[in-house]
Amino acid sequence: MSAEFLKALTANRLGEGDVVFWSSGQWVEQFADAELFTEEAPAEAAVALAKAQNRTVVDAYLIDVTRSEQGVAPVSYRERLRALGPTNELGHGKQALGGAAIAALQAASGAARSTGRLDLIRRK
Amino acid sequence: MYRYDAIDKEFLTDRSNEFRHQVGRRLAGELSEDQFKPLRLMNGLYLQLHAYMLRVCIPYGTLNVAQVRRLAWIARTYDKGYGHFTTRQNIQFHWIKLRDAPDILDALAEVNLHAIQTSGNCIRNTTSDPRAGATAEEIDDPRVWSEAIRQWSTLHPEFSYLPRKFKIAVTASAKDRTAARVHDIGLALRRGRDGTLGFEVMVGGGMGRTPFIGQTIKEFLPATRLLSYLEAVLRVYNRAGRRDNIYKARIKILVSSLGAEEFGRQVEEEWAQIDAARADLPDTELARIRAAFIQPGLEVLPPVSDSYEAARAANPALARFARNNVSAHKAPGYAIVDVSLKAHDATPGDANSDQLEAIADLAERFSLGDIRVTHEQNLVLPHVKQSDLPALFEGLVAVGLATPNINLVSDIIACPGLDYCALANARAIPVAQSIAQRFLDADRAELVGELKIKISGCINACGHHHVGHIGILGVDKKGEEYYQLTLGGSGAEDASIGKILGPGLNADQVAPAVDRLVEVYLAERQGEERFLDTYRRIGMTPFKEAVYVDAH
Repeated sequence: MSAEFLKALTANRLGEGDVVFWSSGQWVEQFADAELFTEEAPAEAAVALAKAQNRTVVDAYLIDVTRSEQGVAPVSYRERLRALGPTNELGHGKQALGGAAIAALQAASGAARSTGRLDLIRRK
Repeated sequence: MYRYDAIDKEFLTDRSNEFRHQVGRRLAGELSEDQFKPLRLMNGLYLQLHAYMLRVCIPYGTLNVAQVRRLAWIARTYDKGYGHFTTRQNIQFHWIKLRDAPDILDALAEVNLHAIQTSGNCIRNTTSDPRAGATAEEIDDPRVWSEAIRQWSTLHPEFSYLPRKFKIAVTASAKDRTAARVHDIGLALRRGRDGTLGFEVMVGGGMGRTPFIGQTIKEFLPATRLLSYLEAVLRVYNRAGRRDNIYKARIKILVSSLGAEEFGRQVEEEWAQIDAARADLPDTELARIRAAFIQPGLEVLPPVSDSYEAARAANPALARFARNNVSAHKAPGYAIVDVSLKAHDATPGDANSDQLEAIADLAERFSLGDIRVTHEQNLVLPHVKQSDLPALFEGLVAVGLATPNINLVSDIIACPGLDYCALANARAIPVAQSIAQRFLDADRAELVGELKIKISGCINACGHHHVGHIGILGVDKKGEEYYQLTLGGSGAEDASIGKILGPGLNADQVAPAVDRLVEVYLAERQGEERFLDTYRRIGMTPFKEAVYVDAH
C-alpha cells in the first residue's frame, strides 16, 4: 500500500450546490480536471484560499485520491459518488457527461473512509 | 381538508420574502455560511452530496389536487423532474439551487405549502394516519388533532430551540399506521369508559443510534387538555434534555435515564402549573378545525358495486390490485386505494412529474380531490367509489403506479442513502431494488404475505430499519458498503426493535439472504402467521443458520 500523499480539493458551489474541484485557483466541474496535490503545504494553502471564497463555494475540504491502473479516483465511495452522481439515476449528475474519465471513475473500486466526515450531523 | 385563512397566507408570504432577503444577503457575501446555514435549515434547505435538498412539509400527509400539481411543476421546473416522499410524510427535492429556493417557496406558498420546521431542533411535521376520515376503524379523525398541533407548534417561541428535533404522531385506530411508538410523543386516541375522547400518551420512542419503544406515561388524557399536556412534556424536555451531547439530546434518552414513571411525574407537576384556560384549545376553535375535515361529497351508495365485481372477476390484474391495494371505506360503496411508489425498478418513494400530475387528475376524478402520503413512502386515494375502481386502475397502470404490492416484500422503505445524503455510509436504493427484483414473481410475493423490509443508509435510521420485520442497515466497513440485517422489528401497534441477525453482508449478498429468510418462514409458518409472527414464535436461530450456512 502506497503512502503517497495525493489529494484533491473539493467543495459545493454556493449558488447552485454543484460539486466542484480546485484547479490552479479555479473551480472546475469534473474530477478529471482537478488539481492533484502531492505535498501537504500547497494543499493546505489551497484550502485556505478556498475557505476565503465565501461568496463562491461552501464546505471546501481535501479528499484522498488514489492512482490505479484505471486512472486516478477519489479513495472513498462517497467522494466517487459526488464526482459521478447517484447510482439510481445514471443520467443525473456529472456522470451524464460520459467519456473515458467518467468510465474510469465508475470502474474504480476498493476504498477507505472519506476524509472530512467528522461531526457530520453538525456540519449538515 | 383544512383551509388556510388570510392570516396564514400572509404569514407564508412574509416568510418567503424574508428568506428571499436572506438568500440575497448570503449570495452578496453579507452573511457567512455559518450565519446563513441556520436560516436556510429553518426553511428546509439542506446541502447534500450533489446539490441543495429542499424538504417540503406535507402536514400529516394530506394534499389537495392543486398542491400535487404544484409539486409536479416544481419538480419539472427546478429539479430533475421528480420528488422523493419520505418516512415523515413529506416530500424532498434533491437537485435544488440556492438561487431558486426563494422562487420555489413563493410557488409553494401560493398553494399553502412551505418548508418551515422540516429541519432544526423544533417540533416537526405531525405524523398521522393516511386513512384518516376514510376508515371505519378510527375512534376520531386524527387530522383534527394533528392540525391543532400544527397550529400550536408552528413557530412556537418556547419550543423553537429544543435540545434536538421533536416528532409527534397521532393515531386513531387499533391498527397503527403512524409508527406512533417510535415517535418522541405518540398519541393514540381512545374512548374512555364514559364515552369521552382522550389520548394514551407514549413518550420517548425513537430510532437512530439508540432505539427505544415509547412508554405510556398517561393512559387517558382528556382530549380537550391535549395542548397543555404537550406543553408540559416539552417544557420538562426543554429544561432537562441533554444539550451537552448531540447523541444524547433526544427525549428518549431523558425518559430512559429518568425512567418513564419519574418523567411522567415531572410532567404532571409541570402540567399542574399551566393555566389550562390559556394553553388548551377553546371548544369553539376545536369545532372550527373539526368542521374543516367534514368530508363533503360522499354519496349514498349500495355496499357492493356490481360493475366493479364483474370487472374484478374478468381482469386478474385488477383482482390482484384489489387484493393488495384496496381497503374498506367507512362509507358503503367506497374504497380506500393505496398507490404504491415501489415498482421493482423504481426508487422507493420517488414520483416523477408526470406521475404526480396523473395522481392529481385521478384524485380529482375519483377521490374527491384528496391525496395522502404514507410514512411507508406510498400515496393513498382515500375516497374512491368502487364503481370507479376499474377506471382508476387503468389510469394508474398508464403511469406505472399500479404496482400491486402494498405491505408485501417489495413494498420497501428506503432512505435516499449514500446516493444523495451527506450523512449516509452506504446506499439504500440499489439494495431495495435488488430485493424487489428477486421477488418479481407476484404470486410468490402474495404467498409470502405481509413482510415489511426497511433500509437505512446510516444509523440515523430515516429508513426505519430498527422496526422492519427485516431491517437493513448500511454501514461503512473499511470503506466498503456492508449491510447489517435485523429481524423482528415492528413500527405498528405491536412495536418492537429488531435484533441483529449476524455479521454484516456485502451488497450482493443481501437479496439472497432475504430470500433465505423468506424460505425459512415459509417452511416454518403455521396458519395465518406473518413473517413477524413466525420469527417471534421460533426465534432467531433457524433464520441465522439459513443465512450463514456457508460460513461454517
